Amino acid sequence: MSKQLKQIAIYGKGGIGKSTTTSNLSAALADMGYRVMQFGCDPKADSTNTLRDGTYIPTVLDLLREKKQVDAHEAIFTGYNSIYCVEAGGPAPGVGCAGRGIITAVQLLKQQRIFEELDLDYVIYDVLGDVVCGGFAVPIREGIAQHVFTVSSADFMAIYAANNLFKGIQKYSNAGGALLGGVIANSISHPFQREIIDDFVCRTKTQVMQYVPRSITVTQSELSGKTTIEGAPESEQAAVYRELARRIDEHTDSKTPAPLGPEQLKNWAASWADQLVAIEIGEVRGEKEAI
Amino acid sequence: MSESGLIEQERYTCAIGALQSVVAIPRALPILHSGPGCGSMVLGFYERATGYAGGYTTPCTNFSEAEVVFGGVERLHSIIDNSYKVIKSDLQVVLTGCTADIVGDDVASVVGEFTERGRPLVHVETAGFKHNNYVAHSNVVNAIIDQYVDGFVLDYLPRSDRKLVNVFASLPYQDPFWKGNLREYKRLLEALGLEVNILFGPQSDGVTEWQSIPAANFNILISPWYGLPVVERLEEKYGQPWYQFPYLPIGANETRRFLEGVLAFADSLDGEQAVGLDAVRAKAFIEREEHAFYEEIDNLATFLLEFRYGLPNHVHVLHDAGYVLGLARFLLHEVGIVPKEQFIVDNTPEQHQEHVRSLLAATSEKREIPVRFDPDAGAAQDVLRNVKHRGRGLIVGSGWDKELAREKGCDFLLAAAPCPYRLVMTTNYVGLSGGLRVIEDIYATVLASYA
Ligand SMILES: Nc1ncnc2c1ncn2[C@@H]1O[C@H](COP(=O)(O)OP(=O)(O)O)[C@@H](O)[C@H]1O
Ligand code: SF4
Ligand SMILES: [Mg+2]
Repeated sequence: MSKQLKQIAIYGKGGIGKSTTTSNLSAALADMGYRVMQFGCDPKADSTNTLRDGTYIPTVLDLLREKKQVDAHEAIFTGYNSIYCVEAGGPAPGVGCAGRGIITAVQLLKQQRIFEELDLDYVIYDVLGDVVCGGFAVPIREGIAQHVFTVSSADFMAIYAANNLFKGIQKYSNAGGALLGGVIANSISHPFQREIIDDFVCRTKTQVMQYVPRSITVTQSELSGKTTIEGAPESEQAAVYRELARRIDEHTDSKTPAPLGPEQLKNWAASWADQLVAIEIGEVRGEKEAI
Repeated sequence: MSESGLIEQERYTCAIGALQSVVAIPRALPILHSGPGCGSMVLGFYERATGYAGGYTTPCTNFSEAEVVFGGVERLHSIIDNSYKVIKSDLQVVLTGCTADIVGDDVASVVGEFTERGRPLVHVETAGFKHNNYVAHSNVVNAIIDQYVDGFVLDYLPRSDRKLVNVFASLPYQDPFWKGNLREYKRLLEALGLEVNILFGPQSDGVTEWQSIPAANFNILISPWYGLPVVERLEEKYGQPWYQFPYLPIGANETRRFLEGVLAFADSLDGEQAVGLDAVRAKAFIEREEHAFYEEIDNLATFLLEFRYGLPNHVHVLHDAGYVLGLARFLLHEVGIVPKEQFIVDNTPEQHQEHVRSLLAATSEKREIPVRFDPDAGAAQDVLRNVKHRGRGLIVGSGWDKELAREKGCDFLLAAAPCPYRLVMTTNYVGLSGGLRVIEDIYATVLASYA
């Protein structure tokens, strides 16, 4: 019986914790018994490092740089719990077109029917940034991924990036593109950060998949080249990632988000900025803690 | 343009077509940093356009997916390097196509490596998404001036040669008669006592002539709009003033107007820059040329009288602005063929259209000549299909108008690109002799219809 391959794309601003979250998600899904591939779509090519003891693997584009014909298998490496690791890679910074690089890498695996051949349950794309150009939109276009999740902290810049991504999703939503599953709130340590994210998802008609706290366990595991799932399986943080994996596994219906317009976004940020300033100088804190 | 924004039958190419301007400089080598199709497109559009290093000779990086992803500068570097081993040339010009310009290859730094070693190498962006070749021609010329010619300015101090002029006129290959036309301009201007840098074609001395561009006392632009950025740049750089004749001077009236315009302009320069032309000699030359011209017109008059039946009495021109204006004037005043609807298909920028319109309006005080600016020559043909005038019509246009002329029962003169049904080598349409040649060509087609 052929099973249903679930393809997921994780987007978010650079440095927000996409790769950390994605790798833990992959690890948790693998622990649940699924056959998983993690596909890093970031020229930095470090998406899968913590699945492979902190090592880098040759990228699809590295191979393509060397020869015209590349067998996709050469770009596939196994990591923690048999997770297939692939990195698209990219040109040197400031040269060439990274967006086209991603298109090329994704097409290569698709054309060679690797997903079918490996009998995968999950392909998880870890994609850099908001949708800056057509290339970075590829995983959400053309029905490559069915569900998009965006990793965002409560920082405005991260939320702007998420909002841009929503615009990209909305744009392709009528043409069979991926839809939005929800937001993975990362580095949430304060209640007000949770409020900011909650307010944002409410206005953009989506949901929070999980609140992931900022945790030293993540850093410690990363330093030993591991995901939290592998490095500290008993930790609270690992439980948070496992719960995220369970929810994503159960998730079926993604939706078209309602991104904020430029003016709306500006006003929204301004209203929160006022509150944040108030928190900073202690005016609101007392009040909040009193509640 | 149609509502869909699509246009049919463009009579020019994309910007990279300006590679033909490099081909037209003796012993200059174009190097394409573009997809392999760009050069083929240009080659297919123009007739016999290979020159010294055009066509299949032109080196090309064949920019493809690997270059898009990783950037194409390494490949460009090796193509330039290898070009030096294979083809002798005095000047090399790298022209970039769409893909290289989208990806943003740092072509300047690659070129810089070679120029540091003393190579006469220039680069210019000619991405098709930016301009057509009418615009890109000026960019190519300006790139050569900025990156190559400027290096010789100490040998050729600005405006140091009072009799020397630079001429910017026909676009090589886009004007099917460019070789002949440039030769004729040079001959006419030399006869006035000027020395002429014609810059393109076999009458040019190639790079040595280009090097002396700064030394010219002034510049002559024969064009309604294309080429304007070149004379503006030269004025800015070397303080050279410029004289513009805004259309092709065809026939006796307009050639006299052109030459007298040049003389008056030269005369207006004084002090250090006084040109000092011999006015008597110049006048005698113009008269002699006219004498020869009118001898033929006299003979023609007899012929026309005998042949009153079945000669074209009105004309539609589909061409660039310079030709439409030049032919309308000549055909109305010196041949007696009345210009009806005219079509300017060179994508004249909006800011120049009013001037062109007023020049066309000034062609005749008695009648208004309707004109349409539209790069969509397919739409122009649709308009033409539906206009009716009494008498026998003449259509002057490109090879793509031949069928329309047949449909309408008009005589047809092929005088614009693309020009597949006619062999043009050194024929000129400008000047007095050019006017006679236009008459010959029109009546050759007309007479051929009487078996
Ligand atoms: N929840 C978290 N707690 C602690 N550190 C985190 C957390 N999420 C991410 N980080 C750290 O942030 C840094 C950037 O994360 P990374 O996943 O590489 O970001 P991205 O892939 O979005 O560029 C890493 O050093 C990572 O360990
Ligand atoms: S439009 Fe671009 S790709 Fe096409 S021929 Fe012109 S330069 Fe080349
Ligand atoms: Mg990452």
